[in-house]
Amino acid sequence: MIVSAPMRSQVRPLGIDVRNLSKAFGLVLALDDVSFSVRPGEFVSIVGPSGCGKTTLLKIIAGLIRPDQGVVEIGGLPINGPGPERAMVFQDFALMPWATVLRNAAFGLEVRGVPRKEREELARSVLAKVGLSGFENYYPHQLSGGMQQRVGLARALAVNPQILLMDEPFASVDEQTRRILQDDLLKVWADERKTVVFVTHSMDEAIYLSDRVFVLSPRPGRLVRVLDVNLPRPRSSKETRGSVLFAKLVEDLWEVLREMQ
Amino acid sequence: MRKRLLVWSLRALVLVFALLLWEWAGRIPISFAFPTATATGRALIDLLRSGELPDGWRSTGHALLLGYGMALVTGVPLGLLMGLVPPLGRIARVYLEVLIVMPMAALVPLVILTMGVNIRASATIVFIFSMPFVAINAYGGMRDVDPVLIEMARAFNARWFHIVRAIVLPGALPMILAGARYGLARAFIGLVVAELLLSPFGVGHLIMDTRSTFEFDKMFATVLSMLLVAVMLLSGAQHLESRVLRWRRRGEEGGLQ
Repeated sequence: MIVSAPMRSQVRPLGIDVRNLSKAFGLVLALDDVSFSVRPGEFVSIVGPSGCGKTTLLKIIAGLIRPDQGVVEIGGLPINGPGPERAMVFQDFALMPWATVLRNAAFGLEVRGVPRKEREELARSVLAKVGLSGFENYYPHQLSGGMQQRVGLARALAVNPQILLMDEPFASVDEQTRRILQDDLLKVWADERKTVVFVTHSMDEAIYLSDRVFVLSPRPGRLVRVLDVNLPRPRSSKETRGSVLFAKLVEDLWEVLREMQ
Repeated sequence: MRKRLLVWSLRALVLVFALLLWEWAGRIPISFAFPTATATGRALIDLLRSGELPDGWRSTGHALLLGYGMALVTGVPLGLLMGLVPPLGRIARVYLEVLIVMPMAALVPLVILTMGVNIRASATIVFIFSMPFVAINAYGGMRDVDPVLIEMARAFNARWFHIVRAIVLPGALPMILAGARYGLARAFIGLVVAELLLSPFGVGHLIMDTRSTFEFDKMFATVLSMLLVAVMLLSGAQHLESRVLRWRRRGEEGGLQ
């Protein structure tokens, strides 16, 4: 990053400790005693069949949902709601349709009371980073799904969080765009060294992006398996996806999920 | 662009056809009280020149502005408040719906009895016709706000006030404006009812006056002026609405890749 504002300085990534989380919605037990740790700067994915509570888990880490039991600690401190060290990227982009790309990207900064000039400057630089220079004054509906999610990513990056929480961010874009977005995300992650928790239902995507993959079982959501992905980095679609190890890891993951059925 | 031209020319065609039909019906004539289109047009110009119609509209317009203005000033905040305080919304909604379903014209005698025959009574009738629509739509707009956006704002640790200002109000705006436009249409219905029942002033007076002197062309011209004013104001409101909600319009170039 070229921007020299203090907010832009490299931040020390933070780890996440999830301890004994349980959450029920009515009579349905969405999460049952889930515990794991994410190391600072690590990229982990959470996969599982639909209804396994993976989005619930992510929203608890985000501080949007309170667990019935258990605790989430960030950098050793228990959380109590959303915090400035975390930013979320949403499945359906969650862009304000009445606001321009620039204002959407600057929203997190706006909430934090950063003066207009400064936040627009920061938003511009982040938009450039995700490849949206020149689209600042467009409205969301004028952009493709892939570009809209770039805005969502820019909005999260603009507040320079230590932790990125991503809820099936590429689920609603086509396969081709999805691969480009994955590579761009990895590039950003390599540059900024943030801790990433990435929820997806795509095995391929989880293996391609992550250091580790957590597998949740459905109803009740329990952590059934942690898969280490020892694929070399930097990864690229051609070399990584073509490798024997990649194919084997995806197959292993499928196997885990098949056993759960 | 070509499609729009087609739509406009078809609209104009329908208008011409309707006017021809009118002229023909007036020439048969279907009734001695039924003036032709041309006679009505001439009468309209006469009334405009003599100043009778502009004078009438001055007081009628006053009643409309007063009543509709009050409907906006009270209806929009009421709807917003109902959205922000859900128990209030659940309670008040029922009463607003009753007011909408109820034949409002039945209340007119009561208004006249309590307020007398004056512009304030006219404005009150306009208000009771219009306000429930304005309020219920503003309330609907508040309930219509995308919960995902609220969650997004919460994830960025936005305070309640900021969420209301930055997410809820802009999200509710399309329906608030639609309600205001609908409310204007309703205000006109109220206005006509009021003008016909409280006729010693304004356009309603002109209608009743010309009727009693058998100047049916003038009477019809006055009615026509009401229609024209209503259409003008409503299309103005629509225009304003689509300008404010520009972000809703699909880009002409469609989605970009």
